[in-house]
This record gives sequence, C-alpha cells and structure tokens, in this order.
Amino acid sequence: MTGHGAWLAWTGRRHGRSRVFRRTRLAALGVTVLSMLLSGCAGWGFTGSGGSKVTLTYALWDPNEQIGYQKSIDEFEKLHPDINVDIEQIPYGSYEQKITAEFITGQAPDLFWVNTPWLGTFIQDGMLTNLTPLIKRDHVNMAQYYPALVALHSKGSAIYGLPKDWDTIALYYNKTYFARHHITIPASLTWKPGGGGTFLPFLKRATIDTSGHNAASPQFNPGHVATYALGVDNDVQGGWGNYVAELGGTVIPHPYATQASMTSPAVTAGMSFLTKTLTDAHVIVPATESGPNANGANLLQMFDQGQVAMWEAGDWNTGGVKASATFPVGVMPLPAGPDGRVSIFNGLIDGLNTHTAHPKQAWELEKWLGSARSEAILGSGGYVWPAIKSLDPLFLRAWQKQGIDMSAFLAEAHGKVANFPNSPGVGDALTEIFSDLGPAWLGTETVSSALQKAESDANYVLKTS
Amino acid sequence: MSIATSAASLVPKRGRAAAIPTADGGRTRTAFLLLLPSLIGVVLFLVVPVIMVIFLSLTRWNLLTPLKWVGLSNYVNIFRFDGMGNSLLVTAYYVVLNIPIQTAVALGLALVLNNKRRGTGLIRIICVLPFLATPVAMAVVWNWFFSPTTGIINQVLAHVGITGPAWLSNAATAMPVVAFANIWQYAGYNMLFFLAGLQAIPLAMYEAASLDGASRIQQFRQVTLPLLRPTMLFVLVTGVIGSFQVFDTVYVMTAGGPGNATEVVNLNIYNTAFAGFRIGEASAMSVVLFLVILAVTVAQFRYFNKRTTYEIA
Amino acid sequence: MATTASQAPATLPVAAAEKPAPRIGTGIRMTLFYVVLLIIAIVFIAPYLLSIFAAFKPLSAILSQSPVRPPSPPTLDNFKAIFSQYGFWRYLGNTLMVTVILTAGQVTFSLMGAYAFARMQFPGRNALFWVYLATLMVPNVVTMVPLYVLFSHSGLLNTYWAIFLPYVLGTPYAVFLMRQYFMTIPKEVMEAARLDGCSESYILRRIVVPISRPIIITATLLAFVFGWNNFLWPLIVTNSNSLQVLTVGIANLQSNFTVQWNLVLAGSLVALVPMVVLFAIFQKHIVNSISLTGINR
Repeated sequence: MTGHGAWLAWTGRRHGRSRVFRRTRLAALGVTVLSMLLSGCAGWGFTGSGGSKVTLTYALWDPNEQIGYQKSIDEFEKLHPDINVDIEQIPYGSYEQKITAEFITGQAPDLFWVNTPWLGTFIQDGMLTNLTPLIKRDHVNMAQYYPALVALHSKGSAIYGLPKDWDTIALYYNKTYFARHHITIPASLTWKPGGGGTFLPFLKRATIDTSGHNAASPQFNPGHVATYALGVDNDVQGGWGNYVAELGGTVIPHPYATQASMTSPAVTAGMSFLTKTLTDAHVIVPATESGPNANGANLLQMFDQGQVAMWEAGDWNTGGVKASATFPVGVMPLPAGPDGRVSIFNGLIDGLNTHTAHPKQAWELEKWLGSARSEAILGSGGYVWPAIKSLDPLFLRAWQKQGIDMSAFLAEAHGKVANFPNSPGVGDALTEIFSDLGPAWLGTETVSSALQKAESDANYVLKTS
Repeated sequence: MSIATSAASLVPKRGRAAAIPTADGGRTRTAFLLLLPSLIGVVLFLVVPVIMVIFLSLTRWNLLTPLKWVGLSNYVNIFRFDGMGNSLLVTAYYVVLNIPIQTAVALGLALVLNNKRRGTGLIRIICVLPFLATPVAMAVVWNWFFSPTTGIINQVLAHVGITGPAWLSNAATAMPVVAFANIWQYAGYNMLFFLAGLQAIPLAMYEAASLDGASRIQQFRQVTLPLLRPTMLFVLVTGVIGSFQVFDTVYVMTAGGPGNATEVVNLNIYNTAFAGFRIGEASAMSVVLFLVILAVTVAQFRYFNKRTTYEIA
Repeated sequence: MATTASQAPATLPVAAAEKPAPRIGTGIRMTLFYVVLLIIAIVFIAPYLLSIFAAFKPLSAILSQSPVRPPSPPTLDNFKAIFSQYGFWRYLGNTLMVTVILTAGQVTFSLMGAYAFARMQFPGRNALFWVYLATLMVPNVVTMVPLYVLFSHSGLLNTYWAIFLPYVLGTPYAVFLMRQYFMTIPKEVMEAARLDGCSESYILRRIVVPISRPIIITATLLAFVFGWNNFLWPLIVTNSNSLQVLTVGIANLQSNFTVQWNLVLAGSLVALVPMVVLFAIFQKHIVNSISLTGINR
C-alpha cells in the first residue's frame, strides 16, 4: 500500500539510517504519485471491446419485464452478431436521477426506457434523439402503432421513440367474494358527481361490515367494515386521474404547457367524488389505511386478504396480483362518467442517447425493439401489451392461459383514452401535487384549498423546469 | 527529553550538512514551494467554490441546458416552494435536541469518570470508541435497533409491557432517534475535552471555595462551570456547526421522512441539487445555511465572551 | 477549531494525579459507582456487540431469536454473500486505495505548508494564514454544489480522482493543527541549523518531522478516518458501481435489502471493524492529543 509506505517513512519507522530514510521517502512519494495516476486511469475503464464487436448498454427498471426483454435481445444478437447488448437494471425510484446523472458525467446508456413523467424533461435537456429522419429513411411503419402513443411521444414533427407498449387502468376484482355475496358484476357502470348513476349503489352493495350488512343497509356500521368495495389511490394515472378525465378535466391544459389546470371545475368535481362522496359513503378504503398520503401502497395486500373487493390499478400489476392472490381474479372496466368511459393511457419508449458512441447500432436496437417480432415476444410472454395494435391478442391469450381475462384493459385502449400528462418537469410537478392532495384525502383539508396549493406548487415546477 | 533538546540534537555538526546558499530570495521561493500544494487546494477547493456558490444561487440551471439568470428570486422560492423554512426548523430542532443533551452527557461522563478508580480508565476508552465509527454504518445498526418488531429497543420495552412505537416512521420520535445516534457517537469524545478542562482547574480553587463554606453543588456551579467555559464554548461551537450539517445519519435512517419531518437542510440541498438537478436553488439554500451557521456561531461567541469573567492562565 | 490553540502542546495527562475528584465513599456509593460504570459500558458496547452477533447469524435466527443471544453456530454466509455477490471486495479495495492516497497527500502537503507558516519568514505570511483560517469557517455543505459543477466541467466526475481530489492537496485544518505544534519548536533550533548551512528542506525532513511524530500521527489518523467515513461527497461524484466506496455500498445495501439485517449488518461491520482496530491501536494517542483536535461532524 503506497500511502502506508509513505506514512511509515514519515513517522520514521525505519532503523536509523538517513540514506535509507531518504530513499524510502522518495520511493514512497514516487509510488504515491504513480498510484494517483493509475487510479485515474482505472476510473476511465480501459475495457476495449475486442475486435469489431460493439457493446451497447440498455437501461430499464422492471426486473420482471427484463426477463422478456432478454429473450428479445437474444434474438436481436443472433441477427446482429457484431452487436452485444448489456442490460442495466436500475430501480425505478432512482431511475430518472441516475440516468440524468449519467448524462452529466457523459456515461449514459445507449438506449434507455423513458417514462412519460420525465419525457418532456429529457427532450428539453437534449438527451433523446429525434428519430423522424431515421424513421423516414428506413420506412418504419408508424401506422401499426396506437395513434395515441405516437402522439404522446411526438413534439411537432419530431418523434423521440418507437412505441413498444401501453397501459390502461381497470378494476381487478375478487371473483370469490362477489360470488359468495351473490353480487353480479354488471357489464358497465356509470357515475355522476355527487353520487348519481349506478356506480355508487353497486359499491354500496359490495361494501360489507363485520356483521354482514352492506353499506346500503341502515344497520351498516362504518366503524367495522370487513371489506371495502373499492381501493383507489391518490394517483394521476391509477387513481383520480381517470375520474377527472371522465369529466373532461386535465392536470395540464395541453402537452408542454407551463402551468397546471388543477383548479378547474372538472378536476375539483372529479377529485371530490373520490375524496368526499365515496369516502363519506364508506365504500372506498380510507386514506389512513391505503398508505402514506393515500398512495395505495397497502392496497394489493388488502386485496389479497379480502379487505377490499376491487382494486383500481394499471395492467402492469397483473403479475403481482396473480402471484399473491389465492382466489380467481377478474378484471372489470372503469365506470363511465359524464364524458363517457376514459382511461389514462401511457406507454414507454426506448430513448436513443444523443451522445451515443454507436448511433448506427443503437438505431438497429431501437428498430428491433419497436418491431413486430420483438413486441410479439414480449406480448406472448405476458410481459406487456404490445404497442402494435394487431399483436394485442397475443398478450390477451397469454393471460387467459393463466386464468385472468384482460379484455377490459383492451376494450379501454380501443375506447376513449386520455394520454398521461407530458411536459418538462411534469414528473416533479406530479410529486408536489401528490403530497399537496394528501390532506384532502385524509379529510383534514377541503378539496378546493388542496387543489389550489397543488396548482400553485405545480406551476412553480413547470415554469422553472 | 524535551522537544527543544531533542530537536537540537538533530542539528548536524558543522561541515556535514549540504552547503546550500541561503539568500533570502531562495528562502522565500522555498516557502512558496512548500505552500504551493495546500494553497492550490485552498484556492481551488474552498475559495473558488464559495465565490461560485454565490454566483450560482442567482441562476437557474440543471447542468444540461444553458444557465439562466434569475437574480434573487431563488432566495424567495426556496422558502415558498422548496420547503427551506421547514428544513431550517427541522434542523434547528435537531440541534436543540442534540447539542444540549450531548454536552450534558459529555460533562456528566467527565464528572463521573474523573477519578482513578480501577476500571475507570477502561470505561473512558469505551466511551470514546464510538467517535471513529462510520456514521453510515452506525445508522444501519440503529435502523436495526429501532426496528419496530425485530429491534432490541422494542423487544426490551415489550418485556416490561410497553408496545414501542415505530420509531423511525413516527413523526414525533424520528428526530429524537436521529439525535440519539449522534449523541451516542460523540458524547464520549466531547467528554475528553471536559476531562481536560476539569483537570486544568487548580485544586486551590476548590479549597478556597470550601473554606468559604460552599457546598459541593455550589462549588460545581461557581467554580467548575465558569472555569469550564472555554471548553464549553469549544464543544458547543464545533457541535452546533457540525449538527447544522447533519446528513449521513438522516439519509440512511429516515431519508427525510416521515413526510418531511426529518428533512434537514443538507438533505434538502442534496435532493434539490442531485435528484432534482436544480443547481440554482440548491446554491441559494447553501448560502442561507452558511449565513445561519455564521450567525449562530457569532451569537455563541458573543454570549460566552460576555460571561467569561476570568480565565486560567 | 481549538480555542486553546496557543497553549502548550499535546500530552495532557489523562489520569489526574492531584485533582479533586468527587469524593465517593465506601459501600453503597462504591457499588452505585460501578453500576453506573456498567451501564455506561453496556450503552457504548452493546451496538457493536449485538451487530457482530447478528452478522454471523442467518436471517431466520435474527428474526426469531433475541438479539442478545450469540450466534450458534456462527456462519460466514453473510460475509461470503456481500463479498462475492454484492461487490464488497471492490468497495473495500476502492475505499482503501482512495483513503490511503487522500491521507498521504493531505498529511504531506499540509505538513509542508504548516512548516512554512510556522517557522519561515516571507512576505504576506500572516495575511495568507488569515485566509487559511477564514476558510475554516466555511461549512462543507457550502462547497458541495459548486465543487460538483467544477468537477463536471473538468470531466472528472465518476472517476477515482473525484473522490479524493478536494482533500488530497492539504486542508487548512491540518495545516493549522501542525502549525500550532511546530510553533512550539524553539526558533533557535532552526536558526542554528540555518546558520550551519542547512537547507529548509533538510531542516524540515531531518529535524522537524522526526520530533513531530505525535502531531503527524494525529493528522494522519484524522485524515484516514475522514476519508474512510466520507459519504456525501463520494455519493454525489460517483455513478458507476465499480467506483463505489464502502459507505455508499452500505447505504445501497440497506436500501436494496432493507430488512435483511444479516446482510446489511455484515456490510456495516466491514466499515466499522477497521475503525475499531484503528482506535484500539491509537487510543492512547487520540486521548492524549485532545487539546489539538476538534473534528467537524
């Protein structure tokens, strides 16, 4: 150890000879300097790729989908023997931060998953390549994808990724529970602000207290609920966003807006429907039980334990539900509001690093992952809904074999959808909105004052991002 | 052998030393060369950053897109939108919890262990042992100790019939636990300063006081405490400056939670700069923290200088 | 910052010979005293002891047994896991290398500067020393963000250099520490050597350094402990897993394996045990040099 040697020399642990001391000290100093140089080199990682083989780094966060992607990439590597792909799995909680930090240090992956909360930011920061010229040159068929997904990832005439998957929101329900209490699942439900429609009565029938009375009965005891009808969380995509959308409300008035529209009557009414109407009727899981700030962290566990009959969530939770629920699970579409049935719609793309060292090979990988062959692998493996419309039946069949009917999610994708909000900074804005809405869910603040604070905080973030 | 004589013995006899011309210009150049590395370090890594942070605090920047000039608006916005007010309060709460208790514990340990009984020496060493401990590693140990079901604290409480709270998820107990971690780590080390201070008080002082009829408690209040003021000042000033910058323990134990009940300033700066990439606001927060620490330190010096009536030579 | 800076140097006697200890009588008081001593010992040792127990138990044993029970039989599986699967060999190696470089550089260069301030005459000496002192007042957190920006622009982020560079060229604190000590070496010694024709470098190497062992050891210890325990700075300047130091590795282990206490505590011990060993070797020295030290937390 060089420093140790230098230290020994300084503290004079030698045996008395001045010449030895001088030599030892010089040697120690020299080795220290050398090691400083070498350590710098080591940090630069001279791992030359042998021969003409190019190695691409591909970053993602979901460890389950990673299995499917690895299969697809194995096929890709067979077709392109000169390209090797390393998958880098980064936990979702730190994904955006890590990718950004890697861009700052110039070591970002060549291709990386991009989720809509940070799509606008990444585009504005110059991290994503505009693929339009490459799409035109290689005649990639954009008509095969869901138009809403293409629109989501376009900015003007530029498009920043080939759509690979999509998600909608629906209601997972406990088939055994509904059978046991002789409640038939209707084909469709409707709701109106204030409680009109068929949704609220249905929820009341499905909420049952410890003595067996449902919430429609006068003997219902709200203090001793055994099972709530619905678990819905304080979330723009899996929770209130859908109800707000069914009234025509939006978080931001249009993509790339620099201010929020959280205090519009539509948003206020949609939010109140959940935080007041349904909460006061005791048919949804109270905010105090669903998770911190009503974030729904406990809902899957409550669903598994039979404490909630229906869980409003995105289709990416199907694997988790299948693994943990001990009863047959069905999927029901969202109830329709005054503007009809609308689901929040989202999909990921693979961003192509603007500073990649291998633009040709990276584009090949991007094309492959957006191609029918790759999306078929992922769809038929039940990993994710393919963004290519014609391949959806593969995913449907994969889950039918596992005993879960996913057609409600598909029906919503073919119906009216509202794209996830997209603007630089919208991810951070949504985090602010989430924490500002907590008190409204907990009942310690009125919906309008919580929304006002949410809008003001979101405006600041959107303006300064 | 004193330092002087041992030094003198190292001076070589005439004629054996290398004969180097000792013109003053040469000496100045040597001095400069000796100073050069640390001078570069001070300028590059201390002076330049201080100037930079003031400049950066007047901008909006995320390191990837061009810098934007926004004047003093960051200083307003960090309080309105980035929770700086809450962070300052939380940090002040931590300092108020941590420093008085830690100082009292350190002084108490010094008083108890200021004797030559058998075993005292060993216990003194044991008290000081924690001060080298890696804060991050200890924070993990405390996470385990205070874990709701598997932690020993709640298990011991359960033995006496009390259900312990979820220490780190409960807004009321989270910060006290973080303060405890710091007290545990540094009380013994500060005890050493008090020990030195106690032992520097001449016996004569106590004899005079007891001749005057002062009880032991009065002696403590009127002889010990006043004469410990310089030590007390040192311990308090360094403790407060350090506590205002607490990070490692909070990051590992609570990450600022629950909610933002333990989001101290340093954590807020870290999140703003390195998770949110808002360099301008983070810089403004840093400047504000600097000013707060400065003000508190000056206040402490003023308070102590007013009250120190006499010192030991 | 030591307010007792201008006092006589280091070796204060720890065990006071003639100081008025609180008079503890025989019998009950004696017992009480030793009970208090026992409690103190337990409070300060228990965390280490119980962590060591837990690190050698499998997770099932930690969850089912009392923490106070020693492992039976002890298992090395946790350490095997963190070293082979979770990269701790790498982290340990990184930390050792970076800390040693930081320590060697910091002590060497601070020593040089301290000597220049203490015993050499040159224009601007006092003014420059005041600049050094002034920077002592700057809290670490203030320089964190601008240093990151500086390093980003120099392309030094995510390298080993970044981890130790801000500390390796000497720090005002170490310079101050050693200068105070050097000031206690009588001027006459240096003057005599100069008159004999010795160069400054000779004086420094052959006279000053050998008799400054206590303070050099202190400074070395302080630098090493600082480097070993440093967390925030390595956290923000390194991205790649291969560059991580122990502290960051431990924090990541905790966030990835939150309640797998067997792994997480084993990781912590990798950082804690060397510090305990260091303390055991140098405790007399640490305790004796109190009047010269004052670590920032």
